[in-house]
Amino acid sequence: MSISLDQLTKRYQGVPVVNDVSLEIGDGEFFVLLGPSGSGKSTLLRSIAGLSGLDHGRIALHGRDVTHVAARKRGVGLVFQNYALFQHMTVAENIEFALRVRRVRAAERRRRRQELLRLVALEGMDERLPAQLSGGQQQRVAVARALAHKPEVLLLDEPFGALDAKIREGLRRTIREVQRELGITTVLVTHDQEEAFAMADKIGVMNLGRLLETGKPQDLYTRPATRFVATFLGAANLILARQGTSGPRWGARSPGLHCPGAAGGAREREVVAVVRPEEVEIARSHEELFSSDYLGHGVVEDVLFTGALERARIRLDEAPDAPILAHANADGAILLEATRAQFEQRAFAISPGQDVAIGVRRAHVLPTPLSSFTVCGSNPSAVERLAGHPLLLDLSSRMKTRIRRYLEPTLGGSAPSRESAAALPGTTVIAAHRNVASDAMWLLEQGVEEVLILPEHAASPQRVLIHWMDESARRATLAASASVLRHVAAEAIYVDVLPEKTAATERSFGIRDLLDARSEARVAHGLEIRTELRFGVLAQALTQQLDESPGHMLIIGITSASQLTAELAALLTNPRWPLLLVHRGREALAHSRSAA
Amino acid sequence: MREGQPTVLPGFGLTLGFTTFFLSAVVLLPLAALALLAASTPLHQLLDAVASPRALASYQLSFGGALLAACINLVFGFIIAWTLARYEFPGRKLMDAMIDLPFALPTAVSGIALTAVFANNGWLGRYLDMVGIHVAYTRLGVILAMTLIGMPFAVRTVQPALLEVQRDLEDAAETLGAGRWYVFRRVIVPAVLPAMLTGFTLAFARALGEYGSIIFISGNLPMKTEITPLLIVIHLEEFDYRGAAALGFVMLAASFVILLTINLLQAWGRDRMVRRGQ
Repeated sequence: MSISLDQLTKRYQGVPVVNDVSLEIGDGEFFVLLGPSGSGKSTLLRSIAGLSGLDHGRIALHGRDVTHVAARKRGVGLVFQNYALFQHMTVAENIEFALRVRRVRAAERRRRRQELLRLVALEGMDERLPAQLSGGQQQRVAVARALAHKPEVLLLDEPFGALDAKIREGLRRTIREVQRELGITTVLVTHDQEEAFAMADKIGVMNLGRLLETGKPQDLYTRPATRFVATFLGAANLILARQGTSGPRWGARSPGLHCPGAAGGAREREVVAVVRPEEVEIARSHEELFSSDYLGHGVVEDVLFTGALERARIRLDEAPDAPILAHANADGAILLEATRAQFEQRAFAISPGQDVAIGVRRAHVLPTPLSSFTVCGSNPSAVERLAGHPLLLDLSSRMKTRIRRYLEPTLGGSAPSRESAAALPGTTVIAAHRNVASDAMWLLEQGVEEVLILPEHAASPQRVLIHWMDESARRATLAASASVLRHVAAEAIYVDVLPEKTAATERSFGIRDLLDARSEARVAHGLEIRTELRFGVLAQALTQQLDESPGHMLIIGITSASQLTAELAALLTNPRWPLLLVHRGREALAHSRSAA
Repeated sequence: MREGQPTVLPGFGLTLGFTTFFLSAVVLLPLAALALLAASTPLHQLLDAVASPRALASYQLSFGGALLAACINLVFGFIIAWTLARYEFPGRKLMDAMIDLPFALPTAVSGIALTAVFANNGWLGRYLDMVGIHVAYTRLGVILAMTLIGMPFAVRTVQPALLEVQRDLEDAAETLGAGRWYVFRRVIVPAVLPAMLTGFTLAFARALGEYGSIIFISGNLPMKTEITPLLIVIHLEEFDYRGAAALGFVMLAASFVILLTINLLQAWGRDRMVRRGQ
């Protein structure tokens, strides 16, 4: 491996800007780090260059550990967005800078300089000053300068940011050609997904300091694992679907969803499906849909002609079993997006206000739990208050999912317990109070699998503690934790608690559990977690750690509702931190085994 | 330029006219009068005034001291500007504001303040006295006052230039293999050198013309700690206007030559760069 990063963490004023990032980049690979501004991608690049210190983690370049090696001895070439050329030096002097530092003889310097100038197509520009060159030419000089000392790794920090579209195109091609010719391992940072697609062998998508997914452009586009990657790489409709024994379905009929291991399982579970706008088919009626599964009916809201493609936005019918879009578009409207090629437009022209049937050619189910939130309370004002909880709003907007409201008089112990009238989809959210354990228990008995308990004042967490009561809850708890952690800038810590008087021989088993948890989180979810081993009584040890500093959240996996009133009772009396319960019964375990 | 490229300010003719008039009225005419006064003095009287041993000693102190003070300011002004431009620390804003104080104070006040600190029984002077260093009433005191008075010029010219040197430049140099000292010598200093020279020039000019603060701390011993501006005042007090004018003219001519040289040096440096780039 050319570049290997192991659990890099960089904090700024306590907040992790690079959060437990591990990554391997192969020899000669063109790797693109993609993410919105502030996602930590530039900081990560500067860390590789050695310009930004680390709080935690290791960096190796070509097998050499360079974590504590100064930038000037790392043998990397770095290109900046603003070129960063030495204005008082000529092009020749700029390019020869690294060679002069190394006391290379003049003749050799000249030879190398001319070779590099040819490579970036700037022959004969040797004696110009940077100020006499155009932006594109300056960036070419910067690339040549970064390559002069034959670095093993070339790092490019938004190199096209300051250039206009035409020049950008040319420079992209030059850089790609130079990279191929030299076979140099290259990392490029950008926020432009089109640029990433155009250049990358592999893309890594970052958000909130975490590296969410890495993969080939094509794979990430067609089979994203997370909501963020699905919506950041191109446009996507996120649709809530139901997945049960007979496979996933929306609305009335089951579609041919692409989802590994969908078979088995006891009850229908809500899932999030990704439908690209180009996979949406529009027809006059259900029967006329040509090559797709029927999704539902809708009304065309607006149509935009953009040359090769037509973009339409459609408002879905609100029938009881109609499919539900998970999130609002940029302007707040919950509309389905569709793009149609010329031939489709000719076959069936649409105009705003028209009633149409909608089909889906291809959908991809995200393997993420926590599909949506359903807020539950015993009276309307309590439901409204909880639905407006800042942390919940924050989470749902980041997860691009809905908050449903549901009135359930049984909660809070004010009404006699009864069977719930509705199957509650997604994650159920309830308010924390003294006796929240009984509410949670009742919900779990109704078949709810995730319960989020929110105290009135809870900010976005900085540290998430994870624990499971039983190894059989591990998989589900890790999946739910990964889903939460992709959407908050927090560190993840798995805590295992052993009894105070554990024998030394037993302790090693505890440590093995920690290592297992870590490696499963990394392999199955691409999630880096830290681990801690504590001794004492479970609820006390956890409470103690949660109270050590503010900004904690707790995710706990359970296998039976009775655990809430037994081992966890102390945690559930008026909790002061957000608490996510992940419940998997024994049969669910069998299901997840078969899914794997 | 002349042929009507529209600019914000009214025409070239008008602005050049104003520039000429302003320079003439405020700078050239008074200087010409000074030169005329000096020129109309009989030669032996003129030589008495400008070439007396006392005058020669004062030139040495004034020019030598100002040059030395400007050099000190060049180094320490750069360090202060660097600190203010590069680091965030509590009290930075306050410190930044304090730089300008020597600008705002009447120079006599600076002189009194310096004397209070550096006199042989002053706050610092008493300890320096113990190790045999005397500041007040020596040439060292003169240079100290000159440094104080010129310091803001050195800092204020270099500071914006340093702010303009992007951090990326240093980062780039570092990834290319350059050590700190190399980066400093080959990247930072060349980038701020023009500003440093300007600061040097201003600090030198200011120190040369300084009077108020120096006379308090120098003790004004003839041949030893007497600066030329003081000698001029002494001539004036004796109603020897011609002598004063002659001395003034010598200072004027010498400063002009020095400043012109520095300016030419700067222009030559710029030219060389541009020519190399073509």
